[in-house]
Amino acid sequence: MIAILIGIALFAAPFATYRATRIASGEARFLIEALPFSMSAAVMIVALGVAAGAVLVRDPFGRLGSAVIGLAVLLPSLGLAAGYLTPANNAFARVSPSLGFWLLTLAYALLVIDALARLRLGPYGRLAALAVGASALALLLLSGIWDSLSILKEYHTRADTFWHEARQHLVLAFGSMAFACLLGVPVGIAGHRFRTLRAAVLQGLGIVQTIPSIALFGLLMAPLGALAASVPLAAALGIRGIGAAPAFIALVLYALLPIVANTIAGLSQVPASVVDAARGMGMSERQRLLGVEMPLALPVILAGIRIVLVQNLGLATVAALIGGGGLGTFVFQGIGQTAIDLVLLGAIPTVGLSFAASIVLDALVEIARGAPA
Amino acid sequence: MIEIEHLTKRYGDTTVVDDVSFQVEEGTLAVVVGTSGAGKSTLLRMINRLVEPTSGRVLIDGEDTRTIPEDTLRHRIGYVIQGYGLFPHRNVADNIATVPRLLGWNAREIAKRVEELLDLFQLDPAEFAHKFPHELSGGQQQRVGVARALAARPALLLMDEPFGALDAVIRAKAQDDLLAIQRRLGTTIVLVTHDMNEAFHLGDRIAVMNQARLLQYATPAELLMHPADAFVERLVGTAERPFRLLSLTKVQAALEPGSAEGEPIAVSDTLHEALSRLVWTGRRALPVADAGGTIIGRISVDGILDHGRALP
Repeated sequence: MIAILIGIALFAAPFATYRATRIASGEARFLIEALPFSMSAAVMIVALGVAAGAVLVRDPFGRLGSAVIGLAVLLPSLGLAAGYLTPANNAFARVSPSLGFWLLTLAYALLVIDALARLRLGPYGRLAALAVGASALALLLLSGIWDSLSILKEYHTRADTFWHEARQHLVLAFGSMAFACLLGVPVGIAGHRFRTLRAAVLQGLGIVQTIPSIALFGLLMAPLGALAASVPLAAALGIRGIGAAPAFIALVLYALLPIVANTIAGLSQVPASVVDAARGMGMSERQRLLGVEMPLALPVILAGIRIVLVQNLGLATVAALIGGGGLGTFVFQGIGQTAIDLVLLGAIPTVGLSFAASIVLDALVEIARGAPA
Repeated sequence: MIEIEHLTKRYGDTTVVDDVSFQVEEGTLAVVVGTSGAGKSTLLRMINRLVEPTSGRVLIDGEDTRTIPEDTLRHRIGYVIQGYGLFPHRNVADNIATVPRLLGWNAREIAKRVEELLDLFQLDPAEFAHKFPHELSGGQQQRVGVARALAARPALLLMDEPFGALDAVIRAKAQDDLLAIQRRLGTTIVLVTHDMNEAFHLGDRIAVMNQARLLQYATPAELLMHPADAFVERLVGTAERPFRLLSLTKVQAALEPGSAEGEPIAVSDTLHEALSRLVWTGRRALPVADAGGTIIGRISVDGILDHGRALP
């Protein structure tokens, strides 16, 4: 299956796309045209080797090794291809990866994922694998080998804005998550204690969750605008109808349901006999909550935080629409200019962040759950 | 001494415990027995105030429990429930150390006490101290549960169906262990069960409850000889009665001079055990040996029957 994918990628699909300017339509370049002969031959031989490995080698370490070698040859070669295809001294031409490259990457990535799954890595192993992958990516980016690629050209023309918006994106996503935890966990604890409160809170937050994000951003504009106009202090704090404030508030509102619901669920699944024994031994309400109930509810609460973080990293993109900033800025600018590379400059880091966040938090959930073992 | 005076608990119109009074002497084991829903657990939970009584009071060594802050009261009373409620995220040593930690004992004292208790319950500290509850068998969990309840040397131990989750073989062993430990420590115990055999096996005195009311509080023998009403009589089991009576008496009481053929029976065994051995081996009499194994006389079927009739 993976071998077939590699075959198609090598011979039937273009490796890279060449465009005369950033918004011109692209021309396909096959692998053989995209690189000097010796290098394209090298990529091809390695790819065939990996394909053979995928078919013949059963040992997960062998499969992992062959896929990693494949990636180690493929990824830098893309940068070389970009340099090779771009005519000298032409600042307008753009080279971006095409179907063939993506398919090869997909094939190798599948092989890596498959091998990692077979290795059954524990949470720490997965975190280490993520760190290795992230450092390799960082190395590729820092080495400058990819600098001729279209996305990085987009990046280099606006590096300052990129980091500014990336920071804004993280502040929105993590800040709203932290705020939602500060608010949601106590509400969840209260909801667990008082049955009537629980139903009301969960229903209310459930309704918020059904409002589409753009609509919620819009809904918040009017009251916040009015607040800013009538209360000078609010305006001084940066609360306005548009901008980061409504985006932040909307993200917090979306984040509340998973956090509150999971806090309640986590606390309710603490066995009744454990709570009864804790009371019977004379643990005070606070000692019970901090020493017994919260530690036992933690894995479920962390699972809620994972949902929130992945959701917020994605939703924060939409914040750009109302002037909230974040990586979404590039996505919407790119759509406006029909510059697909610019869209990708916003989208790829977002996807990468969500991916990394979900791996990290999954590992944390497992560590928290595994603590008794 | 525990004095329970006119304890009553009502939830709305339903009376769960209705005017119950009895006393438990220092160092004895009282069993509260009855059908499910009779109010046994509620009665027990009113002693450590997990349930606040509607009226009535509980005195521990003359002190009204309402005058002691709830948590302080519970630090002084051991509590074991069915399923034990061990903390799944803490290992055996930390579980046992719960109350001493709440009381602020220092680390050395706690470590010493934990080791002492693990030894007492025949759990090797080196092997078990760092295990987590899910790594233990049911019987081991039960022992850790009782050890945890005894950690701060409470004078009173409350147990709610503490053997309910164990299979028959392990349960019998756990019951014997509890009796041995109780004799050794002199702890006063109030134990709730629905199992009449357990009540007769363990109780110095038995409180029979039905539909929120205490029907009779008496020694096992009195309960058999003079049941207070038809319900108690039925619960005690008419067909089982003679055998229960025999299991309350030791071979010593029916020991007669003379000799007999066969495997000797221990003088510390009960008449019930002796009779069942006689029936099983088809003999009229068996030799009786003392703790050292010396034959000190014999026991016969007629002797047991005579003795049965001679009981008060």
